[in-house]
Amino acid sequence: MKLKLSSAAALVVFATAAHAQSSVTLYGVLDTGLLYQSTSAATFQPHAPNLGHLYQLKDGGIYASYWGLKGSEDIGGGYKINFKLQGTFNTANGRFGLADTPGTTAIFNQFATIGASTPFGTFDAGRQIIPMIYAMAETDVRGAQYFGSILTAWLGVNQAAGWPGTSTNAPIGALYDSNALVYNSPKFYGASLALEYAPGGVAGHFQGGTRESAVLKYSNYGLNLSAVYYNGHDTNPFPLTYPAAPAVPATGLANNRFYYFGAMYTIAGFSISGSYGVGKNPANTNTADFEMASGGLGYQFNPRFKITSGYYYLRDRNHSANHSSEVAVGAEYNLSQRTKAYAQVGYVDNKGTMNQTIIYGAPVAPGVSTTAAMIGIRHTF
Amino acid sequence: MKNIGTFRLAVGAVIVATSVTAWSQTREAASAPGASAMAASGSAAPATGRKANRALRRQVYNAIAKHKEISAGNISVVAKDGAVTLNGTVTDSSQVGTVAEIAKGVPGVTSVTNKLTVEKPFGGM
Repeated sequence: MKLKLSSAAALVVFATAAHAQSSVTLYGVLDTGLLYQSTSAATFQPHAPNLGHLYQLKDGGIYASYWGLKGSEDIGGGYKINFKLQGTFNTANGRFGLADTPGTTAIFNQFATIGASTPFGTFDAGRQIIPMIYAMAETDVRGAQYFGSILTAWLGVNQAAGWPGTSTNAPIGALYDSNALVYNSPKFYGASLALEYAPGGVAGHFQGGTRESAVLKYSNYGLNLSAVYYNGHDTNPFPLTYPAAPAVPATGLANNRFYYFGAMYTIAGFSISGSYGVGKNPANTNTADFEMASGGLGYQFNPRFKITSGYYYLRDRNHSANHSSEVAVGAEYNLSQRTKAYAQVGYVDNKGTMNQTIIYGAPVAPGVSTTAAMIGIRHTF
Repeated sequence: MKNIGTFRLAVGAVIVATSVTAWSQTREAASAPGASAMAASGSAAPATGRKANRALRRQVYNAIAKHKEISAGNISVVAKDGAVTLNGTVTDSSQVGTVAEIAKGVPGVTSVTNKLTVEKPFGGM
C-alpha cells in the first residue's frame, strides 16, 4: 500500500513536470525605408495648408516596427495561460508608439494582455489589437498594411471624423482598445465568432468609456468572409486643438459605431478582395457619417515575389463634396526567410476637406491629389 | 480506499496520456507507408474529369479544416487528375509543410506541388 502511494506521488510529480512546459519568446520587426510624397501637412485639420513635397526616412512601409515578449504555460487538460507584451517604435527616431492620450506614448501600446486558451476558445484581457482589425486585414489583399490599404482607408474616415492622429482613441471603430476583454471562439466548420467588451472605468458611469464589438468570420475553401459591428461610448474625447482645449468629459454617450463586411478569395496565385463599411456617430449623425468601399487584387509570382494592389473609396454622407479615391500598388521580394525588400507607389485624389493618407504617419494636404512612392526593407527577429 | 482511488485515477491519467502520445506517433509513422500506397494506387489510375477534380479539391479542404489552427480561407487548392497544387499563405513556417502533408494524406492525391508562403497575422508573430 505504501509503495503504491509513493508511486502515485511520483506519477503526480511527473504529471506536474509535464504540465509546466512553458516558453517565453522575444521577437520583433524593424521596417524602414525612403519615402517621397508630393504634398504634406502638419496636422489632420480639414484646412491644413499644403507644406509641399516631402522626402524622408520613414518607419513602417509594410507595417509598424515593433518588439514584444510573449509566453505560454500549459496547465494541462487543453488549457494554456498566455501573456503578450508588444509595442511599436519608430525606427527613424527611436520613439515609442502612441497611447490613448494625445501627446503621450506607451511602451506596450499594442498588447499588454494576460489570457487563457481553452477547448472553448481563447480569452484575453488588457490592451490589445481588437478583432475588427483582424477581420479587415483578412479581407484586404493589401493586408491592412501601413501603405495604402484598408487600414489607411479606415484611418481616412477617422481623420474626416475629427481624429487628431495624436492618440489611438479613434472616433470611428478602433485599432487598439484599452481595458478590453476579448473572447475568440473555436472554429466551427470554418466559422468563428469574436466578442469584445471593454469596461470604461469612468467613476459614476456604467456606460462611460465602454466599448463593445462583435466579429463573425468564415475561413475555408480559399474564402475569407468577415462581418464587423463596433460600438463605443465617449471615444475620441480630445478636440483637434487639445490640450489647449480640454477633453470632453465621459457621460456614457454612444458616439462611435462602425459596420464592415469584407471578402477575400484566393485561387491559384491570385487573391481578390472587396469590402464595404459604414462609420458614424450614432448620437449625432450630422457630425460623422461616412461610407468606405475597397477592392483588391494580388498575384504571387513565386514564393519570393508578389505584387498586391488595392483601391479605396471614402465618402462623406453629410457633405457630398467630401470624397476620396486611393490606389496603391506594392511589390514585395523575400531576400531570406526573415528579410524582405519592398517598393510601393500610391496615388490619392482627395476632394473637399478629405485627407486620406497614402501611408500611416505622413499626413497629406486636404482636398488635393497626392502621389507617394517608397522603397524599404523589413527584417523580422 | 480513498488513496487507492486516487492512485487508480493517476494511473488512468498516465495511461490516457501515454496512449495519446502513442497515437500521435502511430499517425506519423503511418504517413510514410500511406504515402507510398497512395503513389501505387495513383500510378494505377488517378480519378479524372472536372467532377472528380472538384470532389478531390473539396476533400483536401475538409482535411485541412480539421486542423483548426490553419486558416483554409487563405489557401488555394487546385486539383487536376490527382495532382494537387497549393497556393496562398499560412501564418507560420511550420504550417507550410503541415498543409502539404495533410494534402498528401488525402486518398486520391498522387502528387502535391507546394507554393505556400508565410504571412504573419496582422501585427503579430
